[in-house]
Amino acid sequence: MRIFINGKEIAPREGETVLDICRRSGNQVPSMCFVPRAEHKPSCMVCMVKDEDSGQMIPSCSTFPSDGMRIDTVSDEVISTRKLAVELLLSDHRADCEAPCTMVCPSGLDVGEILYRYDKGDLAAASDLIFYAFPDPKSACEGCKAPCEKVCRRGTVDAHVAIREIIKEVVEAASTATAELLPPTQRASNSAFNSRLGVFSPQEKIDLKRTVTTKSACLHCACLSRDDCRLREIATELKIKAPRFGVSSLQPFKAAKRLTGRLIFEPAKCIRCGLCVYNTEDGFTFKRRGFAMQVIIPEKSYSHVSDDIASLCPTGALSLEH
Amino acid sequence: MCENCKDRELREAILERTDAIIGRVGKSRDRIIPLLQALQDEFSYLPSEVLDRVYETTGIDRAQVISVATFYSQFRLAPYGKHVIKVCNGTACHVKGADNVYDAFRRELSMKGDTVTTADGRYSIENVGCLGCCALAPAVQIDQRIYGHVQPGRVREVLDEFEREETARKEKEREYVNRPPLGEIRLGMENCCQASGTAAIYSEVKRCCHDLDLDVVVKPVSCVGACNQVPMIDVAMRDGSIFRYPNVKVEDVQEILLNHFNTGSTFRRFRNRLFRSLDHLQNDKVWYSDVWKEPVERTRSINNFLTSQKRISTEGYGHMAPLDLDEYITCGGLEALGKVLSGMTPEAVTRQILDSGLRGRGGGGFPSGRKWAMVASEESPVKYVICNGDEGDPGAFMDRILLESYQMRVIEGMIIAAYAVGASHGIFYIRAEYPQAVIRTRKALQMYRDKGYLGKDISGSGFSFDIEVFEGAGAFVCGEETALVNSIEGKRGFPDLRPPYPSQEGLWGHPTLINNVETLSQVPYIIRNGANEYSSIGTETSKGTKVFALVGKVNHGGLIEVPMGTTLKQIIDDIGGGVEGGEALKAVQTGGPSGGCIPASLCDTPVDYEALKGMGAIMGSGGLVVLSECSCMVDVARYFTAFTSGESCGKCTFCRVGIRRMLDILDRICVGKGRAEDLANLAELAESISKSALCGLGKTAPNPVLSTLRFFKDEYLEHLDGMCRTGTCKDMVVYQICDECVGCTKCSKTCPAEAIEYTPYEKHVIDTSKCTKCGLCIDECSYDAIKKVPIRQTITSKQP
Repeated sequence: MRIFINGKEIAPREGETVLDICRRSGNQVPSMCFVPRAEHKPSCMVCMVKDEDSGQMIPSCSTFPSDGMRIDTVSDEVISTRKLAVELLLSDHRADCEAPCTMVCPSGLDVGEILYRYDKGDLAAASDLIFYAFPDPKSACEGCKAPCEKVCRRGTVDAHVAIREIIKEVVEAASTATAELLPPTQRASNSAFNSRLGVFSPQEKIDLKRTVTTKSACLHCACLSRDDCRLREIATELKIKAPRFGVSSLQPFKAAKRLTGRLIFEPAKCIRCGLCVYNTEDGFTFKRRGFAMQVIIPEKSYSHVSDDIASLCPTGALSLEH
Repeated sequence: MCENCKDRELREAILERTDAIIGRVGKSRDRIIPLLQALQDEFSYLPSEVLDRVYETTGIDRAQVISVATFYSQFRLAPYGKHVIKVCNGTACHVKGADNVYDAFRRELSMKGDTVTTADGRYSIENVGCLGCCALAPAVQIDQRIYGHVQPGRVREVLDEFEREETARKEKEREYVNRPPLGEIRLGMENCCQASGTAAIYSEVKRCCHDLDLDVVVKPVSCVGACNQVPMIDVAMRDGSIFRYPNVKVEDVQEILLNHFNTGSTFRRFRNRLFRSLDHLQNDKVWYSDVWKEPVERTRSINNFLTSQKRISTEGYGHMAPLDLDEYITCGGLEALGKVLSGMTPEAVTRQILDSGLRGRGGGGFPSGRKWAMVASEESPVKYVICNGDEGDPGAFMDRILLESYQMRVIEGMIIAAYAVGASHGIFYIRAEYPQAVIRTRKALQMYRDKGYLGKDISGSGFSFDIEVFEGAGAFVCGEETALVNSIEGKRGFPDLRPPYPSQEGLWGHPTLINNVETLSQVPYIIRNGANEYSSIGTETSKGTKVFALVGKVNHGGLIEVPMGTTLKQIIDDIGGGVEGGEALKAVQTGGPSGGCIPASLCDTPVDYEALKGMGAIMGSGGLVVLSECSCMVDVARYFTAFTSGESCGKCTFCRVGIRRMLDILDRICVGKGRAEDLANLAELAESISKSALCGLGKTAPNPVLSTLRFFKDEYLEHLDGMCRTGTCKDMVVYQICDECVGCTKCSKTCPAEAIEYTPYEKHVIDTSKCTKCGLCIDECSYDAIKKVPIRQTITSKQP
């Protein structure tokens, strides 16, 4: 059997899908709902290629070659179809990649991470980040107009997180840095795609006021998987800036749940690819259909899943706490 | 007994009932849909303790139940009221104002906010896809009873009627048998006929026959298709003459009977005559009844309706009883099956179908013979034949009528198909919204079995085949072959990527032939009369006849069967009697949510698969919704997009999110908040979805948008400009009373929102801040004094 990819003839090997052949022959095709050696069904439609004979776009991850097939992976039409698929997924993805406070800090302080560690009670780790960024932490935020507090999402709910005071508190409690200064986690470059959550509805504000009762009152906007998210990588690759269709979703909002020791499930970030559904036994499952379809897991089934499942998830919907 | 013991006893009783059902239906994972259906029948919803029992005692786990029970719209996880009101939101009902009917019921039953159940738990209300009574739109179903022509103003009346019937339901029909009958009274008893009150006519005929001592056979017959003229009765005399009475009222029945039949005894004859004359003296209403018009005048529109048609699938309409195998056989039924079993090879049968040019009637029009040949060529000890009766298109009810009235023919076609492809097992997949079709098909199958036409060694031919019925659970997408197969296997109705096609790997991985109800019903004709005769009907590429549901704004809607190649104009004018209310024809919507809108200017084109496709529509299953100048095309596009958005299975991104984004844009346009870039985005989404969605449903879902963008772009542009010329888009108009008002106060009395002050003999005024734009006042006004005025005009007119 012979098939043609972008005009180049290739002989498929036994059992290979069109995606396998494309990748083997050096044609980059992105994919999200497909992971090698895991049970999967085509759903994300990001791996689209064009069957030049029928004029149809086909998901390469699940299509097997047929003799004489002519596949196009690079034309504008193919790229814009993939781009549209990602834009659609992003329009249903109400979440922040980065915490807004971190994004605006003129000193490059990872504010979101500091607040995260602060709420975990790990003051030492929090202070490390501050000591690393400032030669003189004691006067770190003095004179700063605190854009972090201005963009704080909690501010639109009731009052912004008292970021400067918390930093002061951390610095005072630690007073010196621990022996080894950890280098800060690699910040995503400015060109990386950044998903934004948008505004809260009145009802969401009421709910958030009631449910988020951490010590700092921080909503922890930053995504746990921000550095390990295929959705973000592909959006960056396709040069998507802002989602064209706005962002609106029916997914439960800010409803992160701890399933096992370190496994956190955040449905708002789910793209409904079903990898976790197909690869657990009586664990994750689909609920409802159409745009309202969710992936859920009943509490009684938490014990049926393990931490490993997080590695299959292409987004931050399933992530491991570090 | 203490409270705890009572509770425990109650719980145990529930578990016992649950166990009994599980024992009856089965415990394996593939039995989940029938199991949940049986449990819901028993408990009216799916209580959590019952589901817990299912997890404990069967192979079905929690994940599967959640996944399946929340996918299909039939299943309820919370209790409902005692009676369920289903307001049809099919296309025909939608264009005739179903939204207002829904609101009217909620208002009448004082349902506030999001609640769907009355405070006393007596009624629950829901919108349903399509009840298949499109010729009687707007239609409403309460429990098993269907009501037609339910205008918002009739809501109280319908509820009262239902309550009355509920109390009087126990009355039994009295049986009587004696002398050879004088003749037959035939009347249709399909779902839609019943919606028009045929049941009342039926019992009145029975009652009169008994009271007047008339020996007349009262025979429910198959659908005539003239759904707009029901209740209709045919009086068939012993000499073979037939008298037809359309639009019969209960009070006409006795007159009709006495007009044709005389009673046995002289005394009764005298008594009847006397009482009748006295009756006439007392009330004069019988003198004005339609019944006394000349036969020609009485039935002209029906005759026009019926004569331009050609019957293959609906052969025997109006005289053949459904569910009567003997009569079916005397009318030429089973001749084809006999011919096949007594000497034709499977290859010869397939060849006949191939030569006939028969194409699938369910959607794309794939040549049926090629499909049969594909399944026949597969090497497999097990093969299946599935009859796809999951007709979910709003605005279409062909399959329902075929299964209710002509199921004998469909079954015959299916047995022939099984013989041709070498299948031993068949499944009827029928949607749950058609209970009558399910019951009748089951009965018909039993009749076939009893006579040895189904089961082991059919008619001594050595060929064995049996059929079971599988009830769908409410999901439009299950009309797609692979989704249908998944649904039978007890999974969510997710379609799979093809290839592999079901003809290679279908149900349980075996080669499976899936044909639509109507396709199979054409098969006996082809075998009986030969491929040549069949292929002489129709056009070059599309052979035979097509059954259409002619509905919407047409004078005589109903079920029709015409040769392929008939033009839409012929159908609307000759058969349908023109557009309702003398309005101008604007477009015809064909093929339901997967189809498109064909503008009036193209309605001269002969209808076949290719022609429709060329006009951006599809044949689909055959709904023809007539749209007049008063129909808003953007609203039609929005309606279908909302439908497919709600019915999307959710598997692939383009359908799940893409259609929703199209709907967002259309919603915005229809409330006058459209943006400049909306049309370009809408077009891009529509084109990409049609090229990239995973299954047929997704790929065809943008057709209503694409075709309206193509032919009615000016209406979109007007909407962007804040104007809906038909006044359909409520948010763009205000109601105003103009100078024609004589102050009759009717509108004020009828307004449910108290937005019109009571000012007798003066021009009334609508308080627009209170007005809900329900349209009741417009229906009520005899002077045509209430107008829908575009908001934009009211703003500009106020400026000097």
